[in-house]
Parts: sequence; structure tokens; C-alpha cells
Amino acid sequence: MDRVNFLLAISMGLFAIGLLGLIVRRNLLVMLMCMELMLNGVNLSLVTFARHSATLDGAVMVFLSFIVAAAEIAIAIPIVLLLVRQRRTLDAGAYDRLKG
Amino acid sequence: MIEDVVLVLFGISALVGAVMMLLMRHPMGVAMALISTMVSLGGVYGLLGVHVIAVFQIMIYVGAVMVFMVYAIMLLDVRDVSFSERYSRLLWPGLAAIVVLLGVLFDASRFGRVDPGQVTGNLFGVQPFSAAFLDAYWLYFELSSVLLVVAVLAAVAIVKLRRRRDG
Amino acid sequence: MHNLLAWIVLLPLVGFVANGLLGTRLAAQRLGPGWVSVIACALPIASFVLTLIACGALLSSGQPRLELAYTWAEIGGQELQVAFWFDRLSAVMTLVVTGVGSLIHIYSTGYMKGDAGYARYFAYLNLFLFFMLLLVLGRSLLVMFVGWEGVGLASYLLIGFWFEDPAKAAAGKKAFITNRIGDAAFLLGMFLLWQSLGTLDLDRINAAFAASPAPAVSASLVGVLLFIGACGKSAQIPLHVWLPDAMAGPTPVSALIHAATMVTAGIYLVARLSGLYLQAPEASQVIAVVGLATAFFAATVAVVQTDIKKVLAYSTVSQLGLMFVALGVGAYAVAIFHVVTHAFFKACLFLGAGSVIHALGGEQDIRRMGGLARRIPRTFATFAVATAAIAGIPPLAGFWSKDEILWFAFASSRGGAAWLWLLASVTALLTSFYMFRLLWLTFFGRSRMTPEVEHHVHESPWSMTGVLFVLALLSAVGGFIHVPQFLEPLMPLPAVQPERAALQGTLIGVAIAIGLAGLAGAAWFFGGDAARAGAWRERLTGLHRLLSAKYYVDELYEAALGRPLRWLSERVLLQWGDRRLIDGTLHLAAGTARVAASLFGALQSGSLHRYAFYVVLGLLAALAWSVRHV
Repeated sequence: MDRVNFLLAISMGLFAIGLLGLIVRRNLLVMLMCMELMLNGVNLSLVTFARHSATLDGAVMVFLSFIVAAAEIAIAIPIVLLLVRQRRTLDAGAYDRLKG
Repeated sequence: MIEDVVLVLFGISALVGAVMMLLMRHPMGVAMALISTMVSLGGVYGLLGVHVIAVFQIMIYVGAVMVFMVYAIMLLDVRDVSFSERYSRLLWPGLAAIVVLLGVLFDASRFGRVDPGQVTGNLFGVQPFSAAFLDAYWLYFELSSVLLVVAVLAAVAIVKLRRRRDG
Repeated sequence: MHNLLAWIVLLPLVGFVANGLLGTRLAAQRLGPGWVSVIACALPIASFVLTLIACGALLSSGQPRLELAYTWAEIGGQELQVAFWFDRLSAVMTLVVTGVGSLIHIYSTGYMKGDAGYARYFAYLNLFLFFMLLLVLGRSLLVMFVGWEGVGLASYLLIGFWFEDPAKAAAGKKAFITNRIGDAAFLLGMFLLWQSLGTLDLDRINAAFAASPAPAVSASLVGVLLFIGACGKSAQIPLHVWLPDAMAGPTPVSALIHAATMVTAGIYLVARLSGLYLQAPEASQVIAVVGLATAFFAATVAVVQTDIKKVLAYSTVSQLGLMFVALGVGAYAVAIFHVVTHAFFKACLFLGAGSVIHALGGEQDIRRMGGLARRIPRTFATFAVATAAIAGIPPLAGFWSKDEILWFAFASSRGGAAWLWLLASVTALLTSFYMFRLLWLTFFGRSRMTPEVEHHVHESPWSMTGVLFVLALLSAVGGFIHVPQFLEPLMPLPAVQPERAALQGTLIGVAIAIGLAGLAGAAWFFGGDAARAGAWRERLTGLHRLLSAKYYVDELYEAALGRPLRWLSERVLLQWGDRRLIDGTLHLAAGTARVAASLFGALQSGSLHRYAFYVVLGLLAALAWSVRHV
């Protein structure tokens, strides 16, 4: 298995594990961290392809992805904090008011 | 030769960190596992020669994002239902679905082809990198700045909301 | 004048629009009713004047007049036109319609005075005239059918004029629905003609059937179908049931529509298509038999009726039957002659009855009348003249036309038979009898009126009695108009069977004897205090009950048609069809939507984990598909 395939396998694994974590873990903050993990997996595949094809495009996309991830976490965590103020729990199962 | 070994090591450690994330009970442990994954990935980037990205991975992801996350974990009382019951009801269905997903992804990856190229000179250096943002990718650069402004606005709005509610 | 015929037809329509839109507002003001009357009466009179002008033009030029109004439609290369046709037959019919129509309009101004729907009444009456003129002046069966339906509509509106009374409204419905049954057959006849001849123009139809080779369609079949339509309009068996009920409308309406004009539309139809019926001996036989049966049957029922208008209604049915007998034996011009004289004396009788009802403040039962001859002399005089006319007493109009009918029923070479003549003569005897019975019970003898009615008896105003005088005069001298001779070029009288030609004088004598016998019989039975009539009624209770119940025809229709229809509508169509099938389908659709919605609603559980799981599933599906297909 050459380098590209190996790294791609790692990236797919990171993405899948992040997605699994989103489905199975109950803690809201842990779910957020799993989303970050998914992003990291995708970034890895982008960098791999950029390096393999010797173009700058993939790297630029990764940089933009950093910006978005930072902005996203800056808003997501305060949202979680506000939610927890209301319900006093970090359990995702407690937040099901939008049902039906 | 040694590069390949170190690369494989870093790759495996990223994967191990990810798995640990799912297994650890305390959110702080999960955060530590994620940090280790991110650092390993930074190492991978560095070994690949994409130094700019490697540096920014550590600075932004570990230095800003994870620090903020750790701070939030410290603030909140994590000993509730989600602590005693780690997993949701969809553990086994989720596992099955993810296994199938991995199978499909591996199957799909057999078909792709990317033309390889030769890295010349300072392709992934800081100067070419920054120049690209003002040259070919200036639009996305500007849009991302708009995104950041929006994020700031959102934060201000939340603060104001809290202040209005508090009194 | 270029559009003369169109103007004759359209002037009453103008009256309908004017009175219909403005009338109620006008009539509510102090001077209002006068304006309504003026508009309503002036326009038919104007039509009458125009008709006279058209007749003058016809006689001087000798050619029928064709006016094309506009092309209605063009279907597959063939044109359907709205055109008017004026020949001798049209002249006779239009004069009767506009002339008698105008007189009845004038009468109505007196009769309907003070009624809340005064303007609406005249609007409807003008509408009726418009449609009737369309009917008699139309060149094609299509235009005639428009008029046919239209007079049915006007009849419905006018019969149910006092619609707050449910019984009167029901009478209007009955008339319209019974007519519609006849119209179905009319339409079938029209379809056959169109299919085989490619035209619905009346003159072209007659020409096609007179020419040889004959058209592919059976003339008798078309003839019978059109005759069924005529049965509906002219109240022959089995579609006669609406005419007696139609007496629920105002009396001038009964006079105009159900005596003088609308019911004669069926006669006009058959007479107009004489070219077709000359080639259809089977159909003519059917017409003669049905007409005779109706005439006899209606006359027997009229003998025992106690409502003054019902007697006249059954008398109309009977006289129409006699006209159909004439048509059935090929004497088309004689039938039209009887239409004309019948219009005069029947209108006079109905309006006279209206005058009696008006004088008695609404009483219509002849058992509660009597001794009115001296109290309302003008009404009495005109009524007596008209009664003598219908009974066939010479030299009044009815004698001339009825005698011709009886003669041709006996001696026509196109189906004249002795038994036709015999039954028709018996009918004539009964006619004379029950009409003089009516005269005696209403006007002679001791008064059987209730005291408050008797106190208010008064003669009708001149707007009403004036018209009565005119019509009585026409009933007296109308027989000398020689209508059959006028129509000879168009509809020649049938040849007489040679061996019977000599008996004409004898038959005339018999006819006169019949008329006088009826008079004598009525006087004997109902003169004085009508004690003998009472005695005979005791002896023949069964027969009396049968006749009073009109042979239970209405009950038969109700049992055979009404009840099954209601059962069908109620049980089959309502419960199964409407509720189970249609509502069920809708409920099924709604239920399906509801179930589907609840299924999809279950997807929205509010649980974030589930949503993420669904994302994975969707992702799997998309990936699997795109890998294989892209």
C-alpha cells in the first residue's frame, strides 16, 4: 500500500469514527468534538491529494476549513452553554422539544 | 525510509486517538484524545512537506479550538446522565451503519485517480501560499472574512440577549 | 323593411329586459305600475302591427320571406344558422300569438293589479312571447327548439309565479319535468334528421321527404319521435299530467300559455312538417289514435271536475286531442283552423273564469257559485258566447272548425275511419255537456255562495271585460275567416274517400244535434237546484270516484316512477354512491395522507442522534448509487 492509499485510509477512518461518535455519544460537548474530528479527517485527505498532485488548491481549501472550524466552534460552544443554563444537563436526549 | 515509518506511526496514533475519543467516559479525556489526534495530524502534514498547514493546524486547532473546548468542559458540571450512560440507544445500529459506510468508501476509493505531480521548489511555502490568497483565491479569502464578521455579530447578539434577559 | 321578422321577435324581449331590470323599482313608486303596464303591453301590440305589415307583404308578393339573422355555428363544413321564415302558416300562427297575446296582456293589467310581483309577471309574460315567436318564426328545427325550451321555461316561471306556496311551485316543476321527457324524444328526432339529411331547415326537410328517392331514415320513426315531443308540449297521453296542475298559475297565464299558444306548439310542429308526415302513414295513425284517446279520456274527466279552471284545463287537453286527430288523418290545415278558433274561445273562457274568480274574491269551486248571471252580466254574456262556440253551435267559430275535424276523421283518404268519427263525436257530445254544465252551475240557479263572498260580488273593470268582449266577438265570427282555404297552397286538404263524400250533409246535421243535445242534457241535469245530478252521482259512485281521481294516472306515475326513482336516489346513489364511494374515496385519500404524515412525523423525534443516523443512511445510499452509476 503506498503512501496515498494509507493516508486516505486514515482519513476515511477518522471521518467514520467522528460520525460514529456523533451517533453514539450522549454528551453535547463530546458530540462537538466528534464533529471537529470529522473535519480533521477531511483536511487530511485534502492535504494528501494536494501533496500528491503537487497543486496548491487543496492546501488553500484546508486553510479555509480552519477558518470555518474556528468560527464554528466559537459560536457552537456558547450555544451549548446557553442550552445548559436552561436544562442543567449536557445530555443530548434532554433536548427534544423540536419533535413531531 | 525513516520518514515512512514515522509517517505510519503518526497516522496510527491519529487513528488510536480517534478511537480513544469514543471510549473515554470523561469529556476531558475525550478532549485530550482529540488533541493527541490533532498533533499527530500536524506531524503528518509536516512530514508531507506542507509546513504552513502543519503550523496552522497546531496553532488554530489545538491552540484555539481545543483550548476553548477544554475551557468549556472545565466550566460545566459534567457528572450527569451523559456521564453515567455514555452511549445513546443507537450504538449497535450506528456501528453497523459505520462499518457499511467504511466498506462503501473503501470500495469507492478503488476507482479514483489523481494525476501525480512533482513538487518543485517552494510550492507549499509561506510566500506562494499567501500570494495565492491575494491572487487566485482572493474571493474566498474575502468571503471567509465576511464569515468571521458574521460570527462576531452572532457572539455579540448572544451577549446582548443574555444581558437583556438578566436585567 | 329589412329586419321585420327579427323585430317582431325581439320587441317582447326588450320588454322582458326593461321590466325585468327596472320593473320592480318602477312599480314600487306611485306612478310606477302604469309605466310597467305601458312597456309590457305596447311592445306586443307593436309586434302585432309589424306582423300585419308582414302579412300584407306576404299577400302582395306571394313569396315566403326568409330572413337570415346570423350564423350560429359552423360544424364540419355545415352551417347552423339562426334564420326566420314567414309563409302562410307562420302568418296565421304569428297573428294568433301576437294578437291574442296582446289582448291577454291588457287583461292582465286589470287582473294582476296590486300584486307584489306585478313587474316580474309582465317581464315573464313578455319573455314567453319572445320565445313563442322564436318558435313559430324559426326556419330550422334548431331555432324552433330554442323557442320550444324557452316557452317551457317561461311556463315554469309563470305557473310557479306565486312560488311561496309550495304546491304551486311543485306544479311548475311538474310542468317543466314532464316537458323535458318529451324533449328527449324531440332531440332524438332532430339527431336522426341531421344525420340523414344534413340539415334542420324545415322547408328543406319537407322538400327532402317529398322528393324521390326518399331519404334513408324512416319517416315514421322520426315522425313518432317528434310527436312524442309534441305530446309533452301539447299535453297528450301519457304526458298530459302537467296541464291540470298548471292551473296553479295566474288565470291570464292559463289563458295565454295553456290554451291559446304554448300548447299549440305541438300542433304547429306536426303541421309544419306536413311534408314528412305525408310520407309516414304509421306515424300519422299513431297520432290519430293517441289524439282520440286523449280527447275522449280528458272529456270524461272534465264532466266531474269541480274547479272552474280544472274543467277548462281538461277541456283544453281534449280539444288538443281533437286537433291531433285532424293531423293524424292528414287534414293539417283543419287542425290549424281549430287552433285559431280554439285560441279565441278558450282564451275567452279562461279570461271569463278569471273574471268570475276576481268577482268572487278568489273562489274557484263551482259548487259554491250560482246565480251570477244577473250579478256580473258582462262576464256572463261573453262566457255564454264562448261556451256555445266550444260546444259547436252554429254559426259560431267552434262549429266550423270542429265540424271539419269530424268530417275528415270520417272521410279522409289518409286514415279516416268510422270508429274515429264515432268516438270523436261522443267526445264532442261530452264537450258540449260539460261546458254547459259549467255554465249552468256557475251562472244559473240559486246562489250557493258563502255570505261574505256574495256580499262582495262585483263586475270586473273594463280592462278585463273589454278584452272579453273582443274575444267573444272573435269566437262568434272567427269561423268565417276560412283558414283552411288560406293555407291551401301550403297544406292541401286530403282527398275524401269517394263512397263517403255524399254523407257530408248528414254528418253536419249530426254535429249540430250533438251540440244541442249537450245543451239540453246539461240544462236537464244541472238546471234548477241540480237535484237530478246529485241523484245520478249517488247511483254511479264508483264511476264518479274513478273520474274524479282522473283515472288514478298521477298515482300510477308516483308508484311506478316516483317511488322507485326516490328509492334509487336515496339508497343507491346517496348511500352507496355518494357516501360510500365518493366520500369514502376522499376519506381514504385523507386517511392515507394522515397515516403517511404520522409515519413521517415519527421521523421527527427531536433526538439528535437519530438525525445523525439518518444522515449516515442517506450518505450510504447516495454513495452506493453514485459509485455504481457516475
